[in-house]
Amino acid sequence: MSSESATSAWVTPPTRPELIESLVSGVDRYNPSNVSILEDYLYHQIRSQEYDCLANLAILKLYQFNPDLYNPDVVINILIKALTASPFPDFNLCISLLDDRPQTAHLDEPDPLPQLLPTLTTLHSLLHQCRFPAFWTLYHSDDLQPLRDNYTVEVVGFEDSVREVAVRAVRSAFTRITSKRVASYLNLPEGPELESYVSKLGWTLDSASGVISIPLNADNKIESTVVQENIQLPQLAKIISHTAATV
Amino acid sequence: MAQPGMPIWAADDEIEEDFQGVDLNMAIGNYGQNGLYDEVQSRIDEAALLAVQQQMQQQAAFAQIPDQVKRFIVHFHQAVLNNNLEEITVAYESGWNRLTEKFYAKTEWPEAEIIAPLVNDDPIFLILYRELYYRHVYSRLQPNIDDRFHSYENSCELFNYLLNSDEPVTLELPEQWLWDIIDEFIYQFQSYCVWRSRVKSKSDEELILLQEAASQGVWSAYSVLNVLYSLIQKSKINEYIVAQQEGKNEEEIAEIVGEYGVRPLYRMLGYFSIIGLLRVHTMLGDFTLALKVMENVELNPKAQFTRVTACLVSTYYYVGFCYIMLRRYMDAIRGYLSILNFILRMRQYHTRSYQYDQINKTADRMYALFAVCNALAPSRIDDNILNTAKEKFGEQFTKMQRGEEGIAAFEELFLYACPKFISANPPPYDDPDALTAYVDDPPTEPAQRHLALFLADVRAQAPVPTLRSFLKLYTSLDASKLAGFLDADEEEMVQQMMVMKQASRCVSRVGGEKGLLEGAVRPTSDLDFSIDENMLHMVESTVGRRYAGWFIRSTENAQRVLDTLKNSPLAIPTKSVAANGQGTDGAAEQPAAPRAGGQKVAWGGVKVA
Repeated sequence: MSSESATSAWVTPPTRPELIESLVSGVDRYNPSNVSILEDYLYHQIRSQEYDCLANLAILKLYQFNPDLYNPDVVINILIKALTASPFPDFNLCISLLDDRPQTAHLDEPDPLPQLLPTLTTLHSLLHQCRFPAFWTLYHSDDLQPLRDNYTVEVVGFEDSVREVAVRAVRSAFTRITSKRVASYLNLPEGPELESYVSKLGWTLDSASGVISIPLNADNKIESTVVQENIQLPQLAKIISHTAATV
Repeated sequence: MAQPGMPIWAADDEIEEDFQGVDLNMAIGNYGQNGLYDEVQSRIDEAALLAVQQQMQQQAAFAQIPDQVKRFIVHFHQAVLNNNLEEITVAYESGWNRLTEKFYAKTEWPEAEIIAPLVNDDPIFLILYRELYYRHVYSRLQPNIDDRFHSYENSCELFNYLLNSDEPVTLELPEQWLWDIIDEFIYQFQSYCVWRSRVKSKSDEELILLQEAASQGVWSAYSVLNVLYSLIQKSKINEYIVAQQEGKNEEEIAEIVGEYGVRPLYRMLGYFSIIGLLRVHTMLGDFTLALKVMENVELNPKAQFTRVTACLVSTYYYVGFCYIMLRRYMDAIRGYLSILNFILRMRQYHTRSYQYDQINKTADRMYALFAVCNALAPSRIDDNILNTAKEKFGEQFTKMQRGEEGIAAFEELFLYACPKFISANPPPYDDPDALTAYVDDPPTEPAQRHLALFLADVRAQAPVPTLRSFLKLYTSLDASKLAGFLDADEEEMVQQMMVMKQASRCVSRVGGEKGLLEGAVRPTSDLDFSIDENMLHMVESTVGRRYAGWFIRSTENAQRVLDTLKNSPLAIPTKSVAANGQGTDGAAEQPAAPRAGGQKVAWGGVKVA
């Protein structure tokens, strides 16, 4: 049984600094003058492969209440970070906070978000639907060059974090999988690059058959169980106390 | 002057004759102010004339108030002055509603200024009176723009009085009323947000007023949050809850929460403000923050902080909805199961409550959400809640099992059962061009945005029911064969299998977590599988038959029957009337003994069979 918390690192990432924690958990999160601290922290996450969903949601919350703070680049970066949290709902949680019509009067340049939002949403649903080959095709298409050149190139380890989404999905569903299939999910050419990637995961490749074995874990190890009923003492409390009272 | 015992108007409509304890002339003794008239005659100018006219109008309005209502207000005021919770409760829950039905079903109650002489212009009572006055306008009539602004002002006055007095106020109010104050404050905020977003129906004058209001922060999200957070901080409610959970004694707790937190009024307002924040954040689409503010609150039906049913129901409704938006369907299901069962059990006590309708409406929406969750995370729940949900939403229930075809049913139930979503910001009333653009091309309603996100989640899972129905028939199956059955591309089908795996796992609270956001990944489905290259292997988990619940219920029932028998007098009274008391006791014991013995034999017989 996998009973270790799946969310504690999400609620409070170990990398989150004290100052950010006080903003995320306190009422200072509503103070518009703190937005730059949170924005700086986002760019720190982008450079150092960290991720702090709640801190990023705090930025979107400030934008929601103070439309004049709205900065489309920040929003796009937040969405890109949230994209690879799939199958967890981070991406949707961010979108929920976006006002339908951002106020753009204070921007010097045209707002890039309306153009990119449908693309990001499509990318998200491809990941959420485990359609990894389709994700890579779309991601590398010419149409998405602006997204790659202007945004994801800055997000250190972006492609690897997409691969981690695929790895999570494969690990829980497969016990063995062909390297060809894995290669298409991870967008890595079959050969040394793929081999070293999967061996780091603790997966073993049988080079003769081209089949990768995945160690058993809580999700790909299946057992048929019969759930027996389990009676707790408190359920019997009434009966026992009644018996005790009448004897 | 205080009335001892139960006031008559609460028990009966006809109170005129019986309400003699309150001296009306005493209470309104200062009214009339004859001196003023002399003064007016000496200097006749426009302003004074207006004032007189106004005064006369007020007098006329005052004269129109039925005596029954006047007496009620005087008595209500007295109860509030005396901090007599019992009498306040009766006036609040029963008297007000009764008189509303009788005199004000279709019109406003008299304005606070009119009734002021009855209560010696007591400013606090007038604030409370206006709170009721505007609530009545919102629930029974159509609030106009002035009502909306004034109800906001009045709420501000009330909260200012509570939060910014030099020391804790000594006022006491019933828990139910305190809940209603917070609940209504948020309702009026939400109502205002919806109303202000409809630009087209506004007159030019209203547009100007709305622009002014926006610049002054009237009904702004910030001001509403400010009130709720201030009440939480002033009352130190979070510290109180934590101290209570740590088992601190009363003195220690009093030390921790300070002079405000020890007062029930502040403590309950603080607690209700936490629930209020849960609601406001949900309405604004911030589902994580909504659950995060609930960090310290224990969602345990047995350890409830308050006995206000409306608050409990509301808490579970919003928490469950947030869980749905976090794709944590198991947690939503668990919450709805416990509160819906609670409502069923409480039903007999609530049928006469004035909130019964509201609670029932929320319960129905929770049945709908329960059905939605059950379709997304099917698990074996042997429960009458499931059957009731099927009864209420049978058609949608079946459709939702059908993948893509069922999307319309998900949509229908979501829109029926979701909270009222609001936009955080008003339309651009300060910018005529932007406003025109806003009217020509209105933004999507917030509910539609959240619906779209939810349906995207549903759509991602759409292939699951079909796959599931096939997989249940096999213990192992070749992927290409399954693809053949489904008339689908094998590779695509394998990807859908990964989706199915994802959908069969769910972050869920397992117990003992701190905070509602915590949880561990748990399997939700009775069908599990793994893929060995191209071969699918399936296993099914089964639930053994459950006997214990039935036996426990039956045993408890038997014990109750036995108790009743033991305590009831004999059917045929004995001849010796004098010894009746003793005789009954003795007689009751006698049949009880053999009967208990007989029961043992009967149970033994069943066991053998």
